[in-house]
Amino acid sequence: MSQLEIRTRDDKVRFLPGEELAGQVSWATESPPGLIELRLFWRTQGKGTKDVKIVESVMFDNPRRQETHDFRFQLPDGPYSFSGKLISLIWALELVITSTDETERLDILVSPTDTEIMLYGSRQAFPASGT
Amino acid sequence: MKAKDNPFKTDSVLGVRYRLRDRTWAELLEQLRRLGYRAAIVGPHGSGKTTLLEDLEPHLASLGFSIIRLRLDDETRGFERGFLRRLFRTLSERDVLLFDGAEQMSHFAWLRFKRGTKRAAGLIITSHRRGRLPTLIKCETSSALLREIMRELIGDEAEARCGMTEELYGKHEGNLRDALREMYDMYSEQR
Repeated sequence: MSQLEIRTRDDKVRFLPGEELAGQVSWATESPPGLIELRLFWRTQGKGTKDVKIVESVMFDNPRRQETHDFRFQLPDGPYSFSGKLISLIWALELVITSTDETERLDILVSPTDTEIMLYGSRQAFPASGT
Repeated sequence: MKAKDNPFKTDSVLGVRYRLRDRTWAELLEQLRRLGYRAAIVGPHGSGKTTLLEDLEPHLASLGFSIIRLRLDDETRGFERGFLRRLFRTLSERDVLLFDGAEQMSHFAWLRFKRGTKRAAGLIITSHRRGRLPTLIKCETSSALLREIMRELIGDEAEARCGMTEELYGKHEGNLRDALREMYDMYSEQR
C-alpha cells in the first residue's frame, strides 16, 4: 500500500481566482512507482453527466520510491466553486500513481468571496434594486 | 441540499455495482465460455444491464482478452460513417467486444455487424429483448433490490423510507435508475 500526501502552503484550501497555489507532495511506495502525476482540476457532481477538466498537471518522471517535491500552480480566473441543487463544481488537487491508479485528492475552494457560491441562496443575497 | 452532498448523485449511484443473484462470477464466466463468448445481457430499462456489462470487463481482461467497448443509445443511434469498417479490419482473435445498446441497430445493420465481428474472440451485447444472441442472463429488479441499493446509499435511513421504496418501485415499473433519480430530487429539496 503506497502513501501519498498533498499539502498546500500553510494548509490553505480557500483561494481567490488567479491566485498562486503552492505546496508540497510526497509519496512512499513499496515498489518503483513508474510515473506520478499531480493534477489541478475541477469536476462536477450532481444529477446529470459528470464533467471534468484538468486545468494543469505536473509529471514526475522516473520517481524514486520515496520523494518530496514542491509544486506551484497559477489558478485561472474561473470557474468558481459553486453548488446548487442539481450541480456542484468542485476544484481539487490529485496525486496519482498512473500505473496503479492509486490516488490522493485534496478538495480546494476557488471563489472571489472566500466561500462557495450558492446557486440557491437566501433572498437577502440579491437585494431589490433601488434600495 | 447541495448537489455534491446528495447521496443519490451520479457518482454515488454509479458506485453501486451489479449484484449477481443465482450464480457466482465463476459460473457466469463458465456459462459465457460455453456460449463461445457470444451472448446477450437482456432486460428492461434501468435493470442493470450496462452495470453488469461494465463489471464483466475486468473478469474478461483477467482471462487475457482485450476489451473493445461500443455504445449506442437513444441519443446516439448509430456509429460514425466508416467506423465499423475500420473496426472490422483491425479485430483480432483476442478481442472481445462489449456492445451496450445493440437493440438500436436495425435488423440488417445487426446482421452486417455480426458478420463483421466474426473474427473477434467474443461479442457480448445488452438488449431490451431476447433474440439477437443467446441470452447469458436476464436482468430483473425487485423492490427488495431497490431497498438494498438504498441501504447502500443512505444506510439505516433506508429502513425509514421502506414504504416509499415500494411506491417508487411501482411508479417507475421496476426501472431502478429512474427511481433513484426521483430519490435525488427528493433529497435535493432537503436543507
